[in-house]
Amino acid sequence: MEQRPVRIAVDIGGTFTDLQILDARHGRVVAWKTPTTPADPSEGLLIGVQEAAERFGFALADVGLILHGTTIATNAVLERKLARGVLLTTAGFEDVLEITRHFRRDLYGLAPDPLPCLIGRDLRFGVPERIRADGSVEIPLGELAPVLERLKAAKPEAIAIGLLHAYVNPAHELALRDAVQAALPGIPVSISSEISPEIREYERLSTTVLNAVLMPVVKTYLEKLEARLGEGGFSPRVFLVQSNGGMCSLARAAAQPARLLLSGPSGGALAAERLSRRLSRPNLVAVDMGGTSFDVSVVQDHRIGLVTQGEVDRLPVRLPMVEMRTIGAGGGSIAAVDASGRLTAGPRSAGARPGPVCYGRGGTLPTVTDANAVLGRFDPDFFLGGAMALDVAAARDAMAQHVGAPLALTVEAAAEGVLRVTNVQLASAVRLSLFEKGLDPREFALLSFGGAGGLHATEVADELGITEVILPREPGTLSAYGILFSELAQDLARSRLLTVEPASLPEIEATIAALREEATARLIADGVPEDQRATEIAADLRYHGQAFELLVPWPEAPNLDALLQRFHATHKARFSYAAEDEKVEIVTLRMTAIGRLPKPAETSGTAAEKRAAPGTRKVSQGGVSASWPVWRRETLHAEDVIQGPAIVEEAFATHVISAGWQAKLDPEGALIARRVA
Amino acid sequence: MLGPIEIEVIRNALNAAAAEMDVTVWRTSRSTIVRELLDYSTAVFDAEGWNLAQSARIPGHLNSMSHALREILANFVPASEWNEGDVVITNDPYCGGQHLPDIVAYKPVYHEGRRIAFVGTLCHHIDVGGLAAGSYAAKATEIFQEGLRIPPVKVLDRGVRNDGIWAMIRQNIRKPDLLLGDLSSQLASLDVGAAALLRLARRFGAEAMIEAGNRILDMSEAGMRAAIAAMPDGTYEFTDFLDDDGIDIGKPIRLHVALTIKGDEASVDLSGCSPQAAGPTNATLASTNSAVMFALMCCADSSMHISAGCYRPITVIAPEGLVVNARHPAPVAHRVAVTHRLLGTMNGALHQAVPKLIPAAYYGNSYVTTFQTVAETREVLVEIEIGGSGAHPSKDGVNAYASGMHNNSNIPIEMIEAQLPLTILRYALREGSGGEGRFRGGLGLLREWRIDSPRCFFTSNMDRFDHPPYGLAGGGPAALGQLVLRRDGVETPIPPKTDNLPLGRGDVVRLETSGGGGFGPAEERPAAAREHDKAMGYL
Repeated sequence: MEQRPVRIAVDIGGTFTDLQILDARHGRVVAWKTPTTPADPSEGLLIGVQEAAERFGFALADVGLILHGTTIATNAVLERKLARGVLLTTAGFEDVLEITRHFRRDLYGLAPDPLPCLIGRDLRFGVPERIRADGSVEIPLGELAPVLERLKAAKPEAIAIGLLHAYVNPAHELALRDAVQAALPGIPVSISSEISPEIREYERLSTTVLNAVLMPVVKTYLEKLEARLGEGGFSPRVFLVQSNGGMCSLARAAAQPARLLLSGPSGGALAAERLSRRLSRPNLVAVDMGGTSFDVSVVQDHRIGLVTQGEVDRLPVRLPMVEMRTIGAGGGSIAAVDASGRLTAGPRSAGARPGPVCYGRGGTLPTVTDANAVLGRFDPDFFLGGAMALDVAAARDAMAQHVGAPLALTVEAAAEGVLRVTNVQLASAVRLSLFEKGLDPREFALLSFGGAGGLHATEVADELGITEVILPREPGTLSAYGILFSELAQDLARSRLLTVEPASLPEIEATIAALREEATARLIADGVPEDQRATEIAADLRYHGQAFELLVPWPEAPNLDALLQRFHATHKARFSYAAEDEKVEIVTLRMTAIGRLPKPAETSGTAAEKRAAPGTRKVSQGGVSASWPVWRRETLHAEDVIQGPAIVEEAFATHVISAGWQAKLDPEGALIARRVA
Repeated sequence: MLGPIEIEVIRNALNAAAAEMDVTVWRTSRSTIVRELLDYSTAVFDAEGWNLAQSARIPGHLNSMSHALREILANFVPASEWNEGDVVITNDPYCGGQHLPDIVAYKPVYHEGRRIAFVGTLCHHIDVGGLAAGSYAAKATEIFQEGLRIPPVKVLDRGVRNDGIWAMIRQNIRKPDLLLGDLSSQLASLDVGAAALLRLARRFGAEAMIEAGNRILDMSEAGMRAAIAAMPDGTYEFTDFLDDDGIDIGKPIRLHVALTIKGDEASVDLSGCSPQAAGPTNATLASTNSAVMFALMCCADSSMHISAGCYRPITVIAPEGLVVNARHPAPVAHRVAVTHRLLGTMNGALHQAVPKLIPAAYYGNSYVTTFQTVAETREVLVEIEIGGSGAHPSKDGVNAYASGMHNNSNIPIEMIEAQLPLTILRYALREGSGGEGRFRGGLGLLREWRIDSPRCFFTSNMDRFDHPPYGLAGGGPAALGQLVLRRDGVETPIPPKTDNLPLGRGDVVRLETSGGGGFGPAEERPAAAREHDKAMGYL
């Protein structure tokens, strides 16, 4: 479908825009970084592409594909830079959006804040109508003139429509949308039966409202982006990364921007999936640790897991997304000792500003990064490739004052304590991610990336009993690398409550046929040729009476017994029991429509020509200061063996190889550490 | 000896174990009350039964589970009689439990031949029999009417299920598949918790596990003592009332607290509470202690580790025969009302000691409604609604916020309508239900159910229909609750404590819940805040 040789993945983060470029003419993958331009991120995108073209010698006209990861939707929600929305819902239920599910998360707090609610009570209007749970109409859609008048007077920039039981029968939502579009032409409308057609009204409303108020924001951005296409022969096809890890066209993103909401971390998960194949490691647990957060995703049998619901800023988003556990732990997490003598690291963070004490930007409270600095794990003169000098003395003072003194520990012991406490939190997050699937950490390798990942990786692995750690090349732009090799993917779903038994087969088959038809239509619309199309089917299954379903892939041959066996086995693995004599229900049938993008061959990483010679540095551990070897990653030769304890440095990351570990370069360029003692 | 770092490592892992148990119950349970309303809790205990770590579920459960386990060990199943693979269950308020719908299950964990811990899971079950569906009868006068009583008994004996107990439960309750399904989830979560503890024990050894448990309890105690020491010494008293017990209608039940702070210890004298009631508005000590402890634990640093160590500096004086320490065979189904009110009374006293911390009264009530629809099949819906939170000294209360002793989610309307012959006609914030003040109390809720089956029996057990949630520092009280039947266009009040009211197709029940009290004089409310309230229609 695309003949031009250059494909570029762009991951726009808060500080940097990361690019990974694959040129099919030689199969080499190269990375580039340029500052993000927050006012209009598409500007930075274009600058980055121009810089890369110059640096790596390709023409803008050679670029056939741009695969674009963006946090624009997520940031718009976090910063509340959203459209003025109105919600139309079944009369009598206008407050469901504000009532939420109403349980609290902080049991012992005395000063709670309400959950966010994106459309206030004055802009939520009731519509006379009622559909029943079986899809029958109890009250037909009534007189709409009064509500349309209110709607006009409210001057909305976006309209969300969510009616009870619309997931079974969307007729009223469709009719209401027609009426609204006729009355207010040009205002974007989102309806719940299209955005999240599944049972549970609050979660469906929340997702639909998010989609609605994001539409104008995302549309504006995409228009700016499109305006830049065509400049200087630059006219690639552009696709956006969705939360499910797949790409979608700009038109689809404009209509369903909620599907972009959790796309930020999905690049990292895609990279993990890609590396799992490149490195022949079917089971990986991938951890991405930066300044403020730690993201965990799981690759099992070379596949990343998907879940059907997530949240952004405590608002449920019920759309398929890469399964990801995020905890607020990073280099900026602040260490403290509380009144009962408990040492804590986080959840408070020094963030980017003022940042850790050692950055010398006004931070006064010791952080995890300061703990690493105190122990001598950083080269104070070569931090960020020499771009920032570290004030280790200030970090020591802060650590002594806030942690050492209250616990009567030396400053080094205090710093080690902070790291230990942090590593345990990281390990707990990893364990919970694996536990939820009934998996044993010892069967996984730990893939660690992000600016701070390598400092903690071998120690976290030890906590978990994991014996292999993979430190990929370019750990700072790995998300873009993941995006570079992803596919077009669209998720379709139909909620159908059916017992898994032969009598249900006709309806199951009819539903799958309908899903397949829609999937094909969408792939055709996106210009995917027939030989590049694929579909995958899965079902949400549960025991009769349960509220939560397990996502089970559909067996190759449509065989209900095989499906049931797969469900019982998954249930047993996850929850320690299976009830094989009980009825199993299908709740939702799902289909993923996949459009394969051509996969140009990627060449392997290159090692240095000659053996490297490590330097040394004094590093403190267990109360002893010792000389540790310090290796430069780019000088590593394929035969070099790094014996822990040791440090490996590269421009934007520092890695610690603990005692008892041994690391070597893999032919792919990844640094592989293994427990040897 | 373990250092502070190892302690934190183990503490973190214990919390994670309770969280893993929590996920197991949530994802596998069957009844709407467990899987949607989230009325369950999971916890980890040391070898003596002291609570070491909790999930983030129901405070009223969590701080009673240690009491119950200690009671079982002391009087029913002594330490020597437990074996590996055993699970003991009970729901008996007179054996350390709270009320009959709450079945608690405990499993011991052994390593290196020693018992190193217990894990426990408590679920509020949808029905355990008795004179009203949901086992929440408002008119019982003896516990024998309230449902099946399960004394502490081994439902698993060295890993083998006692099918006799299973069969006996099945025979005595209204929705056996739901209850036994939920009980299976409980047992599964115990396995998951025990596996997590064993992982830890294999790494650190039995001795270290026991030492870590002791140190964690000490640490919590230190945190609690620090919080109490920060309060000025003195005795602080407060009184509030429950409307009645459902039998002596209109006769209020007095809750009185005399809280004495002395140095880093607190003593709570409940001798001024009413004698035990004839109806089910009674609590046993497991419930009462949990309310008192919870009130004081909320005043501590948010980083304080929650464990049974927090209880040590607190003494509760509650003579037997009072509503806070009922004597057998008093009925206790509505014990939660006593604990809600006791917590509010504690907060009224604490407000005098730490006025910047304590909010005005929340709705103070679990609005329990039970519908037993009868058509071809018998279906049971138990709903527990909430109201608004009390205004805080620095901000407005939150509308519709699960507060205080319980922590329930609502049941999705679409889920109810897909499963039972009921239609929800309205679910809304209740305008004007929050107390006035410089800071406004959060709003309560309004919910209407229509009966779609030929017959239905309705049971309700709720309070705050005579005595409103109080305001503080000059703030106004919140609105009283309302419960109404609409039949053929005519509205009549339903008494808030009602058993088995017969309803028919088309009848509508409307519940309006209290908001929270206000804080500070209403005249001091800023104009902008008033404008906003008006624009949002909150008044």
